[in-house]
Formats: sequence, structure tokens, C-alpha cells
Amino acid sequence: MVHTLRQTSGTTLTSRENWGTLFLILPALVFIASWFLIPLGQLFALSLSSEAGPLASYAELIGSSVFRRVFVNTMVLACIVTIICVVLAYPTAYLLTKLRGFWFSVALYCVLVPFWISVLVRTFSWMLLLERNGPINSFLMYSGITTSPINMLFNNFSVYLGMVHVLLPYAIFPMYSSMLRVDNRLLQASEGLGARGTTTFLRVYLPLTMPGVLAGGAFVLLLALGFYITPTLLGGLQNLTAAMLIDNFVNERLVWPLAAAASFILLGLVLGILALASKFLSLGSLVGMR
Amino acid sequence: MNSSLVKTISHIVGALVLAFLLLPIFAVVPASLSDQSFVKIPPESYSFRWYEAFFADAGWVSSMLNSIKVATIACIFTVIVGTMIAVGLTRVGATTRMLLTGLLMAPIIVPAIMISIAIYYVSRQVGLYGTVLGLALGHSLLCLPFVVINVGVSLRRLDPSLLRAAAGLGASGWQVFRTVTLPAIKPGLAGGAAFAFVTSFDEVIVSIFISGYGAKTLPVKLWEQIRVEFTPVSAAGSTIILVLTVILFVAVQMLRFRAAPGKEAQV
Repeated sequence: MVHTLRQTSGTTLTSRENWGTLFLILPALVFIASWFLIPLGQLFALSLSSEAGPLASYAELIGSSVFRRVFVNTMVLACIVTIICVVLAYPTAYLLTKLRGFWFSVALYCVLVPFWISVLVRTFSWMLLLERNGPINSFLMYSGITTSPINMLFNNFSVYLGMVHVLLPYAIFPMYSSMLRVDNRLLQASEGLGARGTTTFLRVYLPLTMPGVLAGGAFVLLLALGFYITPTLLGGLQNLTAAMLIDNFVNERLVWPLAAAASFILLGLVLGILALASKFLSLGSLVGMR
Repeated sequence: MNSSLVKTISHIVGALVLAFLLLPIFAVVPASLSDQSFVKIPPESYSFRWYEAFFADAGWVSSMLNSIKVATIACIFTVIVGTMIAVGLTRVGATTRMLLTGLLMAPIIVPAIMISIAIYYVSRQVGLYGTVLGLALGHSLLCLPFVVINVGVSLRRLDPSLLRAAAGLGASGWQVFRTVTLPAIKPGLAGGAAFAFVTSFDEVIVSIFISGYGAKTLPVKLWEQIRVEFTPVSAAGSTIILVLTVILFVAVQMLRFRAAPGKEAQV
């Protein structure tokens, strides 16, 4: 009797647990469906809604040399920013692994705090620093390096600088965590076997930390492709990116099908990188860095 | 090549990069404290007159209030919904968990401009364009992943036998959550909530597209101003955002430190 009772209560409990799990998951799911999946679905329908035929918008974007150049420029910009970030992030991540105590905390906060600060505020700070009468130009003129102010704003230089500044932490953290996993005994073994420091680095340390380098690089690349605020504020007319082109289609030229198609091409590029990088990339860690 | 020399150079590069990351952020602070009507770093004389001007301007003040409203709604909404699904994810199979996590993280990967125009298009159909609620829902999409991840990390540290013990002693699902789960995930919850608030408070791109005239937020107002000219009032607005973010950041770090002393610096 007791046995059967326990069994029935057991089964009701599991079915109640299933309902409970569904109840916990459903609100977020409904929200994402209604504010993310359905809007993107509508955007996809829009991209196929050109009067000239379903694929006409995509054909126009790919066929036009002007639009193609914007996409190529965006990719070149994203790739250069990624290379700069990876090169600068590696020694920084390495320094993080070597610091202890107070200085480690200081260094960590240098990487962590920028994550929290508004991209808009950071970009505005750069505009104030780089402008003709800004402190950097004053310093350069005061120290006699130049006699007239240098144009550092609204050109390639300011776009690269601003984007590298925002994206560097995304490269530093994956590299740092892959460096933490390196077994120091391997380095000692390499040196014990007579390898020079450079050889140990190139043959042991670099290969072991390569997953972190690739993950960091992939994060930066896929975020850089969709950048909007920094290039819009810091760039000149020649620094048109795909995101700015989409904005232009929506707000200036009012051509929704082109805007929708351009965003799906951009998304295709991002997903392509994600697929290539999926081996060593965990999306949770992109969010978990903060 | 001398490897210790290479090491020294790499340490110097690293230190310079760290300084490069942190220091330029604060350029808006001296700019906002200028006594003159133009931006100069460092200012020739200091005053708070641009903060007075900020708070005397109905446009700036209402945009700040809008930002606070939107961020509060987005924060509360994502904390509730995000905690629910984070707990739900511990109760499903590995495949379902992976699929759902991927879906939750997707808004971080999809370019913000694309999400913005999609929500812009839909919000006009359903009458949420230019409303606080519309903005809060748009921002929630970007805040939710941070809540789920932060709470999820805390949940994984929770000993499942405690949950079984509580349930075995006859506690209901809600009682187990309130007395066992909730106290254990408090640090993750606070971190997620703070980051959700900041993410919404700072959000620019979605806001530019859907705030309209009715729900202009502080970053949108700032964005419009910066594109025209650099003024000390804009610098004051930026500094207000900066100070608010730093306060929340410090609060979260202290809470994490109290939850796990000595581990405050964990990433």
C-alpha cells in the first residue's frame, strides 16, 4: 500500500516537475520569440519584398560596385582592427598572468571597467582628446613635435583607435584564460631540454595559447563587423560601414527591402565567422567576461 | 635575441595597453568641469555651471528620467524572466539546454543595427514605437543574456543535494527556491541585475531607432548633441552616465567580495 502510494506520488511529482520547468522557461521563450525571432522573420520577408522580384534587393546589393565596396571596406576595417587587437592583447594578457595581489587587481580593473562604460561616452572622450584644440594636439605643439595641429579626427586613424579601444578587452580575456591553463612544467621541460626562450615561446607557449588567440580574434572580428556608433562618430565620409549603410537605407532613402537584405548579408558574414570559429568559441564566455 | 629583453618589452607594451584602456575614458570629466562655454582639456578654470545647466534644461532632465524608467523596467523584467529560465535550464537535458542557451545569446551576436531596424519596424505596427515600454522590451533582449549567465554561474556552484534535502523535508518548489536557491544565487543575481541596468541605461543603437520623440533617453539626447557640436553640457551628461556606472560597478564588486572574500577579482 505504502509502496503504491509512493509510486503514484512519484509520478505526479515528475509530471508536475515537467510543468514547472515549462513554466520557468516559457516567459523568456515567448519574449524572445515575439521581440527577436518574429521581428527578424518580418525583416527577412521585407528583404524579399522588392517590387522587382524576391531576390532583387540581394542582387542589387551584390551587383552594385558602390554597395559592394561598403561591404568590402567593412570587412577590411574589421580585419585590421582584429589584427591590432590580437597583437596588443597578447602581451597584455601575458602581463595579467604574471601580476599578483594589488597590481593584479589594478590591471584587471583596467580591462574590466571599460566593459561597463558606455561606448558612446568612451567615443565622446576620444573625440574631445583628438580634436584640433584637444590636449593631444596641444601637447604635440607644446613639445615642438609639430607646429600646427594634426587632423586626428574623422579619418581612418580615429576609427581604428576608437574601435580598438572598445574591442580590446574581448581579445584579452580569452587569451588570459588560455594562458592560465598552460602547465608551467611544460615550459620548464622545454628549457631543461636546452631550448632557448624564443624557441620555447614559439614551439610550446604560443601553440598552447593559440585557442585563446583564435577565440579572442573571432570575438573581435564578429563584433567589429556590425559596429555602428564608433565609426559613425569618429569616421569621415570615406569610412562608411555596412551598419551605417543600413541606417542610411532606413532613415534617408526609406528603402526597407535594401536595408533588410543588407542586414541579412551582414548577418551571413557574422554567422560564417561564428561557424568557422565554433570549435574554440563559447558564446557564454563572451557574455560571462563581464 | 635576449629573451628577458623581449619579456621586458612585452610587459611594457602590456602596461601601456592597460593605461590606454582605462585613462582616456575619463576625458569627459575635466571637460564637464570647465568654467567656459567651450570644451577645453584641462579647463582653465573649474566650475559646476554645466551641471546646473544640465539640470535646468527640461530636455536633458526628461531624457535622464526616461533612461532611469526604461532601465528599471528592463532590469526588473529581465531579472525575473532570466532567473526563471536560468533555473529552468538546470532541469532540462543537455541538448535542450544548449539550444535554449544559443537562442538566449543570439541577440548579442546578431548585429545591433539589424535588431534595431527589426524592432523599429515591428514596434510601429504594435504601437510601442516611442514608448518607455517599447524601449524597455527592446533593451531587455540585450540585457537577458547577462542575467541568465550570471545567475547560471551561481546556480552551478549550488550543491544540488541541498535542493533534494529541502524537497525531501517537504518544502514546495517555491519554498525551496526562496529558502535555498535564492540566498545562494544572490551574488549572481545582483551582478546580472546591475549589468542589465547599465546595459539598458547605456544602450544607444536600439534607442536611436525606437525612442522617437516620446521616450528620448539620455544616450539618444547625447548622441544627437555630439553629432552637432561638442559642448560642456554634453560632457556633463557623459560624466553623469560614467559616475552612475562606476557606482554600480563598485557595488557589484563589493558584493562579490563579501560573497567570496579574496575572489573579487575572478573573471
